[in-house]
Amino acid sequence: MAHRELIQRQTSLTANLLGLFRFLRKQGYRIGPAEEADVLRAIELLEAVKDPELFRAAVKTVVCRSISQKRKFDDLYDQYWKELEKAVDSKVADAPDKNGSQQAQNQPSFQALKSWLQGNTQEEKEETATYSAQEAIGQKDFASFSEEELEEILQLIQLIARSLAFQFSRRQKKTHRHSRLDLRRTLRNNLRRGGEIVDLAFRKPPRNKRRILLLCDVSKSMDLYSQFLIQFIYAFQNAYRSIETFVFSTSLHRVSPQLKNESFRAALRELSEQVPDWSGGTQIGQSLHTFCKEYAGRYLNRNTIVLILSDGWDTGDVDKLQDSMKMIHAKAAKVIWLNPLAGNPAFQPTVQGMAAAMPYIDIFASAHNVASLRKIASHLRKR
Amino acid sequence: MARPFHSHISPFMEHSGLEHIESLLSEQGYITESSIVMSVYLAKELKKPLLIEGPAGVGKTEIAKVMAKALDTDLIRLQCYEGLDAPQALYEWNYQHQLLYLKMGEQDQLSLEEKEETIFSDRFLLKRPLLQAITHHKAPVLLIDEVDRADEEFESFLLELLSDWQISIPEIGTIKATHIPQVIVTSNRVRELSEALRRRCLYLYISYPEFDKELKIIQQKVPGIDDRLGVQICKFMQELRQLKLAKVPGVAETLDWAQALAALHIDHLDKEIVESTLGIVLKDWQDIRQAQLSLSELFEKVGAISKLDQL
Repeated sequence: MAHRELIQRQTSLTANLLGLFRFLRKQGYRIGPAEEADVLRAIELLEAVKDPELFRAAVKTVVCRSISQKRKFDDLYDQYWKELEKAVDSKVADAPDKNGSQQAQNQPSFQALKSWLQGNTQEEKEETATYSAQEAIGQKDFASFSEEELEEILQLIQLIARSLAFQFSRRQKKTHRHSRLDLRRTLRNNLRRGGEIVDLAFRKPPRNKRRILLLCDVSKSMDLYSQFLIQFIYAFQNAYRSIETFVFSTSLHRVSPQLKNESFRAALRELSEQVPDWSGGTQIGQSLHTFCKEYAGRYLNRNTIVLILSDGWDTGDVDKLQDSMKMIHAKAAKVIWLNPLAGNPAFQPTVQGMAAAMPYIDIFASAHNVASLRKIASHLRKR
Repeated sequence: MARPFHSHISPFMEHSGLEHIESLLSEQGYITESSIVMSVYLAKELKKPLLIEGPAGVGKTEIAKVMAKALDTDLIRLQCYEGLDAPQALYEWNYQHQLLYLKMGEQDQLSLEEKEETIFSDRFLLKRPLLQAITHHKAPVLLIDEVDRADEEFESFLLELLSDWQISIPEIGTIKATHIPQVIVTSNRVRELSEALRRRCLYLYISYPEFDKELKIIQQKVPGIDDRLGVQICKFMQELRQLKLAKVPGVAETLDWAQALAALHIDHLDKEIVESTLGIVLKDWQDIRQAQLSLSELFEKVGAISKLDQL
């Protein structure tokens, strides 16, 4: 087991807890000193030292900060204590002569917790020293290379998008003034009443947050690009009023609700299981037509920027595609078509579907690499 | 892995504090589960805001109401919406009132300072929920409902308040909280909340209730309901939520439906009844259409389960 050596043997409950916190931190939980103190306080309040289930629940309640963390928690928790137990067993077998001194330390004493609460940090220092082993093995234990690379790129994209989104929302930020009396307009409005001030006019910052609508082609050739795009766009979610995501191959599906709870990959997998003939070619025309018929009324308006990601290879009805594009273009603020193939300098939009859609596209761009994604961000910013 | 960690049977309710909270919640008619009790208890004891997430209609807001009743204090509610900004949440000056007051006092011989002092006093201050909450005579429960609908600018403003517990009003000065309210923040996950807000709060996720819990809720809130009907409604709802729906029905819908069917003196579900009352449960025509299409399948599942139960 990979974690076997990682979790060095800890002797008191406090140290074990601190080890658990470190372990969880590695897994992406954000546990600072404040949270650690809260856990210890919660355990004290609940007198949870003797009751394993209560103990677990207390730690879980304080430490988890999102639903995904909550879902992962129980398994991680079990894993940690199991590995810890193993580590203890092996150590005991290795060095039976040390037993005497260990016995004393081994008792999960509440005193130890208390002394930690009161600022005794000695155990923590020990812990830090033993932790380096975890680091080294954590590096070794990665799965296959290509998957790793994919993951790395995704993270990179998230990073870039976040920094872009930050600049972004700063630009949009309205000053936090109290709604102020508009003196000029107030006076003017009341002139006809002979200067008697009755009606008051107020000034307020205008509000016009844009919405984003993503229509992503997820047929075999496109789903990787779609994944990157979605990852990228979602980093901007705070700068927009809403982001809606639809995916299509042979048929169209709204996946925004699923994307809230699971990754794009998982959502797609689920879809492909449910929809028969999922990867049987792309029908952009039919899919966009479905969108116009069933969703456009609700999700499309003058504040919506529509992003369509597809290579334009259509096995279906070109007329339908043209009509749908016409309607979307008429109703939306801006239509951006992203074609990963456009990254190739020799590219000409000659595919039949693509040519039909061309007149109704405001911006045509590629989305085949990180640099082109950056460029999209600048289009999104311009109003 | 199944854990002995559900609802009332759980042994850890032996703890007096948890038991107390649980009995308070159930006295108020709130059917609860151990994770909720634990979160409410710890939020209260650690004096931390409680962030509750979950789909619409699972009783997030209800927790705040029940908590206020249970703590025997007032509930102050701030409903968030798009474009909500600080003044609407904090305070506003009652301009009209101030103007009228000045108008009436035109003949008085008051000095400018005196007038100014009067018009910028408490009586012309319109207290909005947040100011109300921190100046309340007793620590209230402050419910910040659907915070994900407000913009993130508002969220950062909220963070400031939640850490300092004071508000400064230029004309009056700084108002410090008399009592620190118990804060409950709810979110429907329309927008991802900031890490900073998450870190300040304890986190609780409430999902759609499982069969047993939902049945208990129905039995409690619709006392006269036929046993068989109650069971059928719950099973139907459980199955219905498995469909891919645009708006998944929550407990509120279940209750509406149960109440409606009970009022019609219906004692069991059949296809016709479901078809004619589906509008109570589903509020989206595409959902209704989808449910109608898979009605036989739904019924088969509900029916099959009940047959198994009889064995």
